[in-house]
Amino acid sequence: MLLIRRSQRANHAVRTASAGGEVFVASVVICMILAAFGDAVDPTVFGEVGLEFAIFDFGGELSLLAMRHWHLLQLLLAGVAGAFGIFVLRVFAAGLLRILRPAGRRAIDKVPISL
Amino acid sequence: MELDFLSTGFLSALLAIVLIDLVLAGDNALIIGLVARNLPKDTQRQVIFWGTFGAIAIRALMAILVVYILNVPGFMLAGGLALVWIARKLLTPEEHASESHLIKGPATSFAGAIRTIVIADAVMGVDNVLAIGGAAGGSILLIVVGLAISVPIIVWGSQLVIKLVDRFPSVVLLGGAVLAWTGYSMVVREPLLATWFELHPATKLVAAILIFSISLAPWYTARLSDEAKPLVALLPAVLVWLLGVEVAASVWKLKADYLLATQTGEYILEGVRWLGWLPLAAGWLWLRERIELRRRTIAQR
Repeated sequence: MLLIRRSQRANHAVRTASAGGEVFVASVVICMILAAFGDAVDPTVFGEVGLEFAIFDFGGELSLLAMRHWHLLQLLLAGVAGAFGIFVLRVFAAGLLRILRPAGRRAIDKVPISL
Repeated sequence: MELDFLSTGFLSALLAIVLIDLVLAGDNALIIGLVARNLPKDTQRQVIFWGTFGAIAIRALMAILVVYILNVPGFMLAGGLALVWIARKLLTPEEHASESHLIKGPATSFAGAIRTIVIADAVMGVDNVLAIGGAAGGSILLIVVGLAISVPIIVWGSQLVIKLVDRFPSVVLLGGAVLAWTGYSMVVREPLLATWFELHPATKLVAAILIFSISLAPWYTARLSDEAKPLVALLPAVLVWLLGVEVAASVWKLKADYLLATQTGEYILEGVRWLGWLPLAAGWLWLRERIELRRRTIAQR
C-alpha cells in the first residue's frame, strides 16, 4: 500500500479515476451486490408470489439466482458489458436531447411555420 | 477447497490475487531501498540480496501460517473484517504520505538493515498475505501461485506498478472492490456463522451491502459536499441496526417477521426493527453538529 502512496494520481484515485473507469468499477460492484442478492434470496419465497419465472428462469444461466455461482472473472465481464451499455445509452440520450433541443429562431435550417 | 486447474473459479481467484498484489505488494522494494541507501556499495549489494531473500522467506512463512490460521473458527470472520478495513484504507487518500514508522532512517550496519527489512516486511505484508489467503479460498496451489506473482513485484516490479496505477487510477478502485468482495466471501464462509446464515439468508445481502458501503465509502464520499458527508454514515448504521436486530431475535428467540406478526407486541417489535434506527441516527447527527460547532467556536477564540 506504501507503493500506491508514491503516485499522486493513485493516492487520490477516488478523485483522479477516469469517468469510464469509475463506471466500470461501479458496474462490477453492482454485479457483486446482485450476486450476493442471488445468494441471499430464498427461491421458495419468490415461488409463492409467482415471480420465479421473471427472476430465476428467464435467461437460464443469466438469471439473477444463477449469479450466486458467478466468479470474479464473470463479474468483471458483466461489469464491462454494463459499462458499455451505459456508454451506449449515454450516446443515444445525448443524441436524443440534441434532436429535442429547439433550433435558434434565426437558424438557417429553421422550418418556417406560419399559422 | 481445491479448484480445478484453469477452471473459471481458479482463473478468477488468480485474477483477484493479481489485483490484490498490484495494490498491496511492492512495498518491500521501497523499504529495502530506503534502508540500504546510506550503506557502502559492497554492503548495499549484500543488503539488497539478503533483504529480498528475507522478505520472500518471511512472506512464504506467513502465507503458510495464514492457510492454517484461516481454518481456525473465528479467524475467517476476523480476516474478512480486516480486509474491509484494508480496502477502506486503500481508497482513503493520505495527504501527508509518510514513508513508514517502522523505518527510523537509513541503516548503519548490515545486521541492522536486514533486521529492519524483515520486521517491516512481516508487519507490512500481513494485509497482502491475508488477502491472498482469503482470495485463494484454502487452495494451496493458488497460495503458491499468489506468492510466485508477489515475488517479482517485490523484487523488480515496483516501478511498473507505480506506472500502471498512475496511468490507470481505476485499478486502485477495482482493487478496493475486489478486497471488499473477498472480505464478504470470507465473512459468509466463516464456520461459526455458516448455520446462522443458512437460517437467515437475507442477512447475506445486508452483510454484502454493509461491507461495500463501508469499504467504498471514501470513493462515494469524495463526490459529496461537506454538508452531506455526515449522512454517509446513515446507510452502514441502518444496516448494522438491521443485522443487530436479526442477531438479537436469534439470541432471544423473538419472532421478527412482519408476515407472521399477529399480536400488538409483535407489531411493536417490527416497528422497532424498521424504524428504531431513526432516533439513534438523529441523535448522532445532533451530537456531531454540536461537537463541530464547539470546535469552530474554540478555533475562533
